Amino acid sequence: MEIFFQQLVNGLTIGSIYALVALGYTMVYGVLKLINFAHGDLVALSAYIGLVIVMQLMGALSPVLLIIATFIITMILTAVGGVILERTAYRPLRKAPRLSAVVSALGASMIIENGIMLIWGPMPRIFPASVVPNANFNIHGVYISLMQILVLVISFALMVSLYLFVNRTKLGTAMRACAIDQDAARLMGIDVDKVIVTTFVIGSALGAVGGLFIGMYYRGIYFNMGWIYGLNAFVAAIIGGIGNIPGAMLGGMLLGIFNAFIAGYVSSSWSLALTYVLLIVIMILRPTGILGERVAEKV
Amino acid sequence: MMNTKNAIYYGIFLVSLIILPFFLNSDWVSVMTTFLIYSVVSLSQDIVLGRAGMFDMGHAIFFGLGAYSTAILNMVYGWPILATVPVAIILPIIASVLLAAPIIHLRGDYLLVTTIGFNIVFTQALKNNVFGITGGPNGIFGVEPLKILSFTFSSQLSIYYLAFFILLLTLITIHNLETSKPGRALHYLNLDSLASECIGINTKFYRLYSFALSAALAGLAGVVFTLQFSAVSPDAFNFIQSVLFFTIVLVGGPSSIPGVLLGTFFMFVVPEIFRQFAEARYLVFGVAMILIMIWRPKGIWPVKFGRIPNYLTKE
Repeated sequence: MEIFFQQLVNGLTIGSIYALVALGYTMVYGVLKLINFAHGDLVALSAYIGLVIVMQLMGALSPVLLIIATFIITMILTAVGGVILERTAYRPLRKAPRLSAVVSALGASMIIENGIMLIWGPMPRIFPASVVPNANFNIHGVYISLMQILVLVISFALMVSLYLFVNRTKLGTAMRACAIDQDAARLMGIDVDKVIVTTFVIGSALGAVGGLFIGMYYRGIYFNMGWIYGLNAFVAAIIGGIGNIPGAMLGGMLLGIFNAFIAGYVSSSWSLALTYVLLIVIMILRPTGILGERVAEKV
Repeated sequence: MMNTKNAIYYGIFLVSLIILPFFLNSDWVSVMTTFLIYSVVSLSQDIVLGRAGMFDMGHAIFFGLGAYSTAILNMVYGWPILATVPVAIILPIIASVLLAAPIIHLRGDYLLVTTIGFNIVFTQALKNNVFGITGGPNGIFGVEPLKILSFTFSSQLSIYYLAFFILLLTLITIHNLETSKPGRALHYLNLDSLASECIGINTKFYRLYSFALSAALAGLAGVVFTLQFSAVSPDAFNFIQSVLFFTIVLVGGPSSIPGVLLGTFFMFVVPEIFRQFAEARYLVFGVAMILIMIWRPKGIWPVKFGRIPNYLTKE
């Protein structure tokens, strides 16, 4: 039973990271109906940016200030990256066939991934161990580290604020309107471009938090990790129902727990394959994901 | 129907491929052989993606199944290569129908994700050495050359012409497809699946048909791939390769044969020319992909469907 709870804690931690990254995919998909393949690489980029900041500021600031500064600067820089991405790779293709935008997204992903490799080199980089103090709490035999608590609390806070933003503010309402019908939203006086830029800013900033968590939790980062974390997060978004914000959170948590149990009880060499088996089964049973609504074909 | 002008262009293209090896050293003959093999795979990907309009991002599965069938039957069970060819074609067909049947109704992006999933499961299975015959992460080495009667296809030149022959077969198949009932059915269901169903086209059947046909061609290309490198490894068929085939079709021009060939050329031959800039080449590729899509959203060499009066296509 202790293994069960231990894996549950680990799974929730990984799941929160997946959920943060998945939100970036699902928000862009909701508004643009485009799979933002470059999002995973943006997440990898944010981990590298975070590493640079940590290395520069370490020692100069107290640990708490260091973490806060790293998070805020990385989120801002990654959000700028997301806006540049939208401007250069997606906006010129808004009217083009949908598959052209997919190719453009894949191209952007290649640029970021290989850009990281050219700047920081192909070898993995290691986050310093002491960014978050290495403290463990023992609750009835289940170990939970300070890092895990930090991941869970920050992710939960970010998700709640995102939920409130999307459902309670004017800009959030505009975002939901754009997701349903862009032309009608434009006719109602919504500045669609502004909404899309906001989507990229929020999605990239959340992805940056995810990237920093990956760096601080797993510590090893490498230039092409965007693909694998990106794909997992993307699968989480699909499982929850892509375009659906609570769906991405649910999908991320489910996938994280599923992965942790596979690694704990079955074997880690099959965990990637079983993740996709889960995806395929869900796609066959519920073609639009768990929370996705079935859209009738318009004639 | 192929008009005279097109026939002349294809004639020039094929003749230049035939005489090309006499002007190249053996390294470049091997690069061109790889080009021919990947052209066949890209053209087969185009049947599903460009002609039937299904977002299949797992095409490397069928390519890999063909390659692995030949390698396994030869190395583990000692079959001669020629005897493995029918298996390397039929196995991908069966796999494609079994995999595609439950997901054929999925909408665009969901199909894309599911096929990515299949591909990742496939490579993972190869790496984990299922049934102890796939050779694990390193793959299988030392596959015998093809023997027909007393001739052995062991020189690079002979494999080049073998690959050329397969490309020729593929071009003939696609030309026949274009001018036949299934080809027209695919074209209709790509343009408007609901309307085509209403005029009595069995869309599910033709979707599976396109998957099966393209899997067969990709499996055949896989055989030549095994012969070219006399080895197979899981990474040659991973999901990044599928992304590459997917990109080639869209960058070149969906359902346009010259476009797809040009796309393959850009992806596999041009990088060899710029070997010394190896580190930065994928960065340049990414930039090129975005720019091409901005300037030519329908691909470098888009297909032209003639004979439709202009006033009918205007909205």
